Amino acid sequence: MSASVRPFTERYKRAVRDPDLKPRLLDFQRSWRLSRDAQIKRLEQRTERSFDDLRQDFAATKDHVRASWNDYITEFRSNAEAAGATVVELNSAADAVEYITSVCQARGIDLIVKSKSMVSEEIDLNDALQRSGINAVETDLGEWLLQLADERPSHLVMPAIHQKRQYVAQILGGELDTQFDPDDIPAMVASARDGLRKHYLQSGAGLTGANALIAETGSIMVVTNEGNMRLATSLPDLHFVTAGIEKIVPTWSDAHDQLQLLPRSATAQTISTYTTCITGPQPGKEMHIILLDNGRRDMHADDAITDALRCIRCGACANVCPPYQVVGGHAFGHIYTGAIGLVNTAFHHSIDDAAGPQGLCVSCGACETVCPVAIPLQRQILHVRRRAFNAGHAPRWERLALKLWANPTVMRTAMGIAALLSSAARGLGLVQRAHLRLPLPSRLRWRSIPVIPLRSGQTLIASRQPQPPLASSPAAGQTVDLFVQCLADRLLPQAVDATARLVEAGGANVQVPAGQHCCGLPAFDAGDWDTSRAMAQQTIEALEQHTRPIVTPATSCVIAMQDHWPQLFADDPAWLSRAQSVSDRIYDLATWLDGPGRLPNHSLQSTSQLWTAHRFCQMSNRDAPEARIDQLVARLTDSVPAELAEADVCCGFGGLTSLAAPEVGAGILERKLDCVNATDCDILLTNNPGCAIHLNAGAHARGDAHETMHYAEFLANLLPSDGA
Amino acid sequence: MTASADLASRFAAALADAQGEITDASSWPDVWELATSLTSTTPVVSPDAFEQLRRGDRPDPADPLRSIADREVGITQARLAIAETGSVLLIEPSDIDRAVSLLTRHLVVAVDRANLVADLAEGFTWLAAQPQAAAYATFVTGPSRTADIERSLTIGVQGPSRLSVAILQDSAS
Ligand code: SF4
Ligand code: SF4
Repeated sequence: MSASVRPFTERYKRAVRDPDLKPRLLDFQRSWRLSRDAQIKRLEQRTERSFDDLRQDFAATKDHVRASWNDYITEFRSNAEAAGATVVELNSAADAVEYITSVCQARGIDLIVKSKSMVSEEIDLNDALQRSGINAVETDLGEWLLQLADERPSHLVMPAIHQKRQYVAQILGGELDTQFDPDDIPAMVASARDGLRKHYLQSGAGLTGANALIAETGSIMVVTNEGNMRLATSLPDLHFVTAGIEKIVPTWSDAHDQLQLLPRSATAQTISTYTTCITGPQPGKEMHIILLDNGRRDMHADDAITDALRCIRCGACANVCPPYQVVGGHAFGHIYTGAIGLVNTAFHHSIDDAAGPQGLCVSCGACETVCPVAIPLQRQILHVRRRAFNAGHAPRWERLALKLWANPTVMRTAMGIAALLSSAARGLGLVQRAHLRLPLPSRLRWRSIPVIPLRSGQTLIASRQPQPPLASSPAAGQTVDLFVQCLADRLLPQAVDATARLVEAGGANVQVPAGQHCCGLPAFDAGDWDTSRAMAQQTIEALEQHTRPIVTPATSCVIAMQDHWPQLFADDPAWLSRAQSVSDRIYDLATWLDGPGRLPNHSLQSTSQLWTAHRFCQMSNRDAPEARIDQLVARLTDSVPAELAEADVCCGFGGLTSLAAPEVGAGILERKLDCVNATDCDILLTNNPGCAIHLNAGAHARGDAHETMHYAEFLANLLPSDGA
Repeated sequence: MTASADLASRFAAALADAQGEITDASSWPDVWELATSLTSTTPVVSPDAFEQLRRGDRPDPADPLRSIADREVGITQARLAIAETGSVLLIEPSDIDRAVSLLTRHLVVAVDRANLVADLAEGFTWLAAQPQAAAYATFVTGPSRTADIERSLTIGVQGPSRLSVAILQDSAS
């Protein structure tokens, strides 16, 4: 839309080429996390309510407003008008630009001072005004720095977080005709203060956003730290407010509830320096409030998306997002950045603008854990991704790969050939610690290529003696089906075999239903719902032959069955109920071993090896019992894990992300493996097969000393009767 | 009494967290003395505070903001102080009211002890009941700040770079 938003591929390339971005954003995410968590904890103590209760309450307020949206807009409008403001509701970015331009032109205004407003970014106001000869000057320091550099915000509340101080010294020095020492930030800030002051004094209008529009009195609430908003609304005689129609809250008490969540989530402050509430203009001055739709009513009409309109633009979703840390907001987003940008761009801008960064999201769900209005971001992103796929946005290789993957015969043949080649490579001395020693292009050198074992998991199970029971679990004597999972079957056959043995150790018998392949997760993740549905149907057919419990070592597939299948079959009641009869019976191995197939405490041999656990992020971010493999392993083996920092942060596998955006997969993996190395562990355990393979290949490429294992394999090796 | 002392100490702690300063001044004469000790020029005084002080320079009503831009020390009065956050609530319907708090380098804010409340919720309840006050109401918490350059916290970017609060004993009004 704007000349200053470059194509996604270019933004992505720039981001991965900037050597400073990753470490700086890592530092930022880590310090934000600490202070934000402390703030939220204090809030919980003071209010005696949990964060989740507080955010659900405020989310309910926002939802309530949208249920009677027009009434609240009318209430706000009539109260604001009664206080002397002019209120206009406008449909599009172009309408808003035209309105502001014509008001300025009618009054001969040629300079506007702006306080931070994401809506003005959304409508690309500055460039448009410029074309009509009206100069708009950003007065928030970060926004001003971006304007001077002709850049866009890379974060919702810290817009210039990507800029280095050397760069700031250069652009500020150019503007103010001064030589700056990049290390003297206070001097730069002081000069910026003076540089901005003259614009306020000359401007004919000030423009601000609004954090909330309070319907009961027609007031606006704006939160800032610098105080520029107060200057921009006091020096000029005219005040424009640009706000999305979703910013309305019914009462002052609701505005308070928002304020309780906003600064704590945004900048980890108890409150920002200035919270200003304005009702109408002062006598003799003008206030024009622009209530903008620009796709918001379309969002509301879409049941899967409407909750995104709760957003209070705090930026927290970016602050915990692993890929955001690697590439920053210019790549991870469009004009709106972070998780919410991957959703609302499709509505405020276009599906084409939203498509580029879709593949960067690893679906870890971290964003949802901190969102102060509980937006189901992960699910919404997958929804937008589906639209992007349907609009033809997936690369051809990806479409082809999904097609091949969907075909079990093709996959079996391909994997068989790969296994033969792997074995040949072993003969040639090209294999080391189960990975190929091959020269790789530099973009891919961060991970080694695992060799494919000759025997699949299913073959291993078929050709062995069952494990003698170790204890009598509630499921003793029952027969249990095993869902082996496509990746694990070929790449982690030992984990599949181990799963069977652990189930048998509880006294149950294991069967492997024929015809199973893939639950459809990779295609779902890619936005290809048709392929995903076909794969799910095939899995359902394989698993509905019996009505027994189903156990799997593949944590991600449990999520696919429980979460994705109901979405895939939402319009097909027959398949929906078949899907549900399967997903009702699925157990992740960890919940099985704690539940029906429970093995007693300390029933396995102890180990002298120091282990730590990376818990599959999607499960741990929803705090599901499936995630608690560290507790399970500790309980069974009477051992204590080495404490892993950022245990719940994604490992970077992210399904197709590590293929489509290898730099992102590599960057996240590096963060993870650095944390693993800091534990000095002998063994890294994890629960999801894809993550185990990814973590292992990465550690191998780095030459890390620790071993990586699916926890099932680790546990099965400690079964008492193990004589192999 | 104890409850009020507790509020005052919570207010002071929260204000310090926000890089603001609590002062010993506890009456209007104290506030004046403090302000004059901070500058060699005459402090500028908001219309509200002038009612109480009857001295100091006032913004020129013809051009209030330009008339006092970048004066060293200003004095204003807050309607409420919030213990939870260390905020003071300024009610400034017109730019004459706002000039002092916007443009002076060191702002001294006086607030009656009786108007010290526990939390922001009370502040919002108060505002909701005062339509005139809501014309232009600002919770100010510490001096102006930015962290826009490499997240380095820098005080005093656009508004005052120092903020001192004086809690006036009840007898003062
Ligand atoms: S799901 Fe994870 S990767 Fe995707 S936007 Fe949220 S935090 Fe980022
Ligand atoms: S989606 Fe949630 S976390 Fe992200 S900016 Fe909006 S409110 Fe904040």
